[in-house]
Amino acid sequence: MSAAASSSQGGAEGGTHPPGEEEQGESSAYYECNICLDTAKDPVVSMCGHLFCWPCLHQWLETRPNRQMCPVCKAGIGKDKVVPIYGRGCTKPQDPREKMPPRPHGQRPEPENAGGIFPGFGFGDGGFHMSFGIGAFPFGMFASTFNFNDGRPGPPPPASPQHAEEQFLSKFFIWVAVLFIFWLLIA
Amino acid sequence: MANIAEARIKREFKEVVKSEEVAKCHIKVELVNDTFTELRGEIAGPPDTPYEGGNFILEIKIPDTYPFNPPKVKFVTKIWHPNISSVTGAICLDILKDQWAAAMTLRTVLLSLQALLAAAEPDDPQDAVVAKQYKENPKIFQDTAKHWTHVYAGGPNRTPELDAKVAQLSGMGFDANKVRVALSSHSWDAERATEYLIS
Ligand SMILES: [Zn+2]
Ligand SMILES: [Zn+2]
Repeated sequence: MSAAASSSQGGAEGGTHPPGEEEQGESSAYYECNICLDTAKDPVVSMCGHLFCWPCLHQWLETRPNRQMCPVCKAGIGKDKVVPIYGRGCTKPQDPREKMPPRPHGQRPEPENAGGIFPGFGFGDGGFHMSFGIGAFPFGMFASTFNFNDGRPGPPPPASPQHAEEQFLSKFFIWVAVLFIFWLLIA
Repeated sequence: MANIAEARIKREFKEVVKSEEVAKCHIKVELVNDTFTELRGEIAGPPDTPYEGGNFILEIKIPDTYPFNPPKVKFVTKIWHPNISSVTGAICLDILKDQWAAAMTLRTVLLSLQALLAAAEPDDPQDAVVAKQYKENPKIFQDTAKHWTHVYAGGPNRTPELDAKVAQLSGMGFDANKVRVALSSHSWDAERATEYLIS
């Protein structure tokens, strides 16, 4: 029956708002939440492109925690797979957040980092610096040679906080590994 | 009733009322009370089916958790269909159960039910007797469904042979509706139907 159901649903999208028949003008219909059918509040959009109020979508996801699908097209969906939409007018202080959880934050993925993936797994400090330098060098050259118009930042310079953090993490994992091997030996 | 449920039903109600299907008299929704918790739906039997020309009334109950949970729908008009109980009118349709999605509306539900009348799913039956007949004896199924449509849903297509059989057994003092069920469930074999009615 799902075939018949989805075909009639397809009809719904075309037929719900016949051209030039909507009271508030056709354009507002595009910004209606697909669950409450009102103009979307705290809007989020799914990967499949369907618009919802965040409170509405949240309640839908809570209703069926083990089968999370888009209420419109039944594509996979999840709290971490929706993008909030910030219109120009929403810089003013937001209405008091009700008991609903806040909208998920926009994702700001780290720029790709050639040297950052395996920043040297050699033992000792020197080995780490060496391999990082080698890893970052071709990328830096590539960036400076070809990426004139691309504003993408390159790998973090050695003095940046990010670099220090990577260095710290790297050292930390090496120590964990060493302790683990030591424990294996004495066990 | 929860705020969102009522607000949504109001919007949907308007949507159905001005939809083109209503204009063509294919579907219809009416309010039963002021609180929008219960509605009365109506669908026309699809053309080229035994249900053609019939009007089928539906009871629609809107739960507090609507639209996060589906409306509760059943047939008020008696109907002979593998996925609808010939006794209670209960419907077996996935979108009214686990395949419900919050973006579906009264309109899509009514259209899906209409589609169900046009394409039964005998492998997922609500009424086992009807489903068996649908699979094993399509001709008798068609005639029976047509007969029920004429008697209960005001369909124009008469089935004189079957009418006569019902009249014959009713003349023996049985209730006509019970006679119809007995005959329909026993391939219109008057002897077996009588046995069933007596037992
Ligand atoms: Zn909404
Ligand atoms: Zn979708």
